[in-house]
Amino acid sequence: MSGATFAVLGLFSDAHKIVEAAKQIRPRKLGRLEAYTPYPVHGLDRAIGLEPSRLGRLVMLMGVLGAGLALLFEGWVSAVDYPLVTGGKPLFSWQAFVPVMFEVTVLFATFTAGLAMLFAFNKLPFFGHPVLHSRAIKDITRDKLALSIEAISAVFDVEAARQALFNNGAESVEIVPVLTWDRPLSLVGLLRTIAAIGAACLVAGASLYAAEKLMPIVPPMIHMEDQPKLNAFRESAFFANRRGMRPAVAGTVARGHLPTAFATPEEAGVLLSNPLPLTQPIAERGRKVFNDHCAICHGTVGDGVPLLSRAYGGKPGNFLSNEIRARPDGHYFGVLMLGKNAMPSYAADLDEDDRWAAVHYIRILQRAQNAKDEDLR
Amino acid sequence: MTAPRSSLVRNILLAVTVVGAAGTAGVYVSVARERFWVNWLLWTLFLLTLGLGNLFLVALERLVGAHWSVPMRRVPERIASLIPLAVVLLLIGFFGVPVIFPWTQPAAAYNPILVAKTAWLNLPFFAIRLAVCAATWMLFYRFYVRGSLRQDESKDPAFTVRARRLAPAFMVVFFFSVTILAFDWISGLEPEWYSDMFGVYLFAGTFVSGIAAMLLGVLSLVRRGRLPEVQSKHVYNLGSLGLAFTVFFAYIGFAQYMLIWYANLPEEVIWFKHRIEGAWQPVALLLPLFHFFIPFFLLIGAVGKKHSATLRMAALSILLGHFVDLYWLVFPVLGPKPLFGWPELAMACFFLGLGFLQIRRAMGHGADMPVGDPLLSRGLEWQP
Repeated sequence: MSGATFAVLGLFSDAHKIVEAAKQIRPRKLGRLEAYTPYPVHGLDRAIGLEPSRLGRLVMLMGVLGAGLALLFEGWVSAVDYPLVTGGKPLFSWQAFVPVMFEVTVLFATFTAGLAMLFAFNKLPFFGHPVLHSRAIKDITRDKLALSIEAISAVFDVEAARQALFNNGAESVEIVPVLTWDRPLSLVGLLRTIAAIGAACLVAGASLYAAEKLMPIVPPMIHMEDQPKLNAFRESAFFANRRGMRPAVAGTVARGHLPTAFATPEEAGVLLSNPLPLTQPIAERGRKVFNDHCAICHGTVGDGVPLLSRAYGGKPGNFLSNEIRARPDGHYFGVLMLGKNAMPSYAADLDEDDRWAAVHYIRILQRAQNAKDEDLR
Repeated sequence: MTAPRSSLVRNILLAVTVVGAAGTAGVYVSVARERFWVNWLLWTLFLLTLGLGNLFLVALERLVGAHWSVPMRRVPERIASLIPLAVVLLLIGFFGVPVIFPWTQPAAAYNPILVAKTAWLNLPFFAIRLAVCAATWMLFYRFYVRGSLRQDESKDPAFTVRARRLAPAFMVVFFFSVTILAFDWISGLEPEWYSDMFGVYLFAGTFVSGIAAMLLGVLSLVRRGRLPEVQSKHVYNLGSLGLAFTVFFAYIGFAQYMLIWYANLPEEVIWFKHRIEGAWQPVALLLPLFHFFIPFFLLIGAVGKKHSATLRMAALSILLGHFVDLYWLVFPVLGPKPLFGWPELAMACFFLGLGFLQIRRAMGHGADMPVGDPLLSRGLEWQP
């Protein structure tokens, strides 16, 4: 018997006897009681003085915290940080948040239960328990129940513990010494461990690669890029004419756009006149449209001097020139729709009201640069 | 000592029932006929679902071969005796069908949605479904409850085997019949509305309120010392079952609501709009409070399931929640404001009095425990 004593272990073969023994020995305060049994024994936890676990309360707390955090996070994302109306619902729609709140509650609760049980209450990781090195461990994992009195102070009376266990029906008693490590870590052991982990990674990676590349009949996963879908401007087997999409029916009009009856800006100038009244809000809207879309080339005052660097080689129209000033409103509208020279069509970017409002604003700019005498009075 | 008190309780119950009956007659004569029949439907459903929930508990025990609940099984068997009473009330309620169900009225012929549903919503087929459901419930009630009472005397283990063999068939028939009950008698009140889950929703409420009623019955018998061998571990398990199915009910109820809320289809959403907006909003808030939050937080901890006071409070909350649930399902057809006046109180007295009298009558039959069941000793020795 070398070294200090970890505990005195008494073996029993009857579950009732070990509970009785624990009840008898506990008040004598010989040391900390612990039990090792091959199956759960009803009432033994109370008999060795274990308190009901506090894990439940912790799990409850974390579950409620999870629900609250999920609600706060979803509310903040949906209603504060990135307010985006979805499906016509209010920004803060708690109904939509409940499934995620539920999931986060379960996540927090289960992680707390598992991790707190392992690491906080069971004090893992724990390398090598003295009882695992006892002679009795074979019997404990088979059909015997063990009650141990652990030494918790220097004044542990081994003989008294032995006697107490024998007197309360223990069939045999073993004294378990404190575990001492001769060589806790060796270089070879460490290298072997690293090599084993590396080999495991290699095998896993190689088998996944083989499964994916060499056995394409049963791919282990389907990548999103391989899914059946229509590619733009690619042939497709779906329709009889092998197109990916159906062409629009002749005469189709985009939603919100009226059909046009002109083919050139000159025709538009003859056919159309500005339907919008010149009011403050419409002028404001025109200014916004002009500054957002036109000013970058035509200049903020419409003089055709681009804001873009001089490197741009084009020659945007000067709205203040007599030639362009003389054009009717419809002509401007037609150019916005059809484009002219290097200028592309703005039909997709601006709806009709936006175009007419911009035309109003261009007229205001022209008037401002060519003010008459009565305007100054 | 107990006899005079018992007869006093019986006399009080009788008096309440008689006063309630007089009040019910008064409602029939003086108040709108629609309100009378909606009340009738509400309370019939309340008694019927309690009875069916307990019959389901009995059959569930047979199906899964549970031992722990055997010592307490006489309680659900006695509460299941509400079934014959409620079936009679439901058959009487058939006279109210032309009054409260819009699909029976001539205007339905001009409603294209209802015209499309006439294959299901017509009086002869409705009556056939009612008759088949009622006959099924009575058949299984007689088989399980009478059979168990007979076993007290005969001690014949063959009945236990037969009861287990029949349980799967009962489950299938039971789910169909509860779904029909839910579709015909509740969602049929607003026949344009449609929800796949509604049958499951009514089943969830039926099951959890059945557990609550059983819990109350067991606790009251234990308190009076009539179930001396039933220990807290048995009741604890029943509390766990109640907790689980409280969550199940909340899950089903919310899932139904959320899917309809998300899809936002007019003919589905209008049903909820009538029930969660305006004057009905407080009722809609009471429902999750009584049916989920109170019982959930009372029963979640181990401590709550060990104290009979907590268990009783949770069970009462679930039963109150079940009443609020049925009221919230049925009453909005009467208008945008929740009605609760003397007609409701009078009919509540009448039906609850009838129900309690029926259960008291059933308590006179057989022992307080199924003494003839061969599984009883295993149930008493059962360790969690």
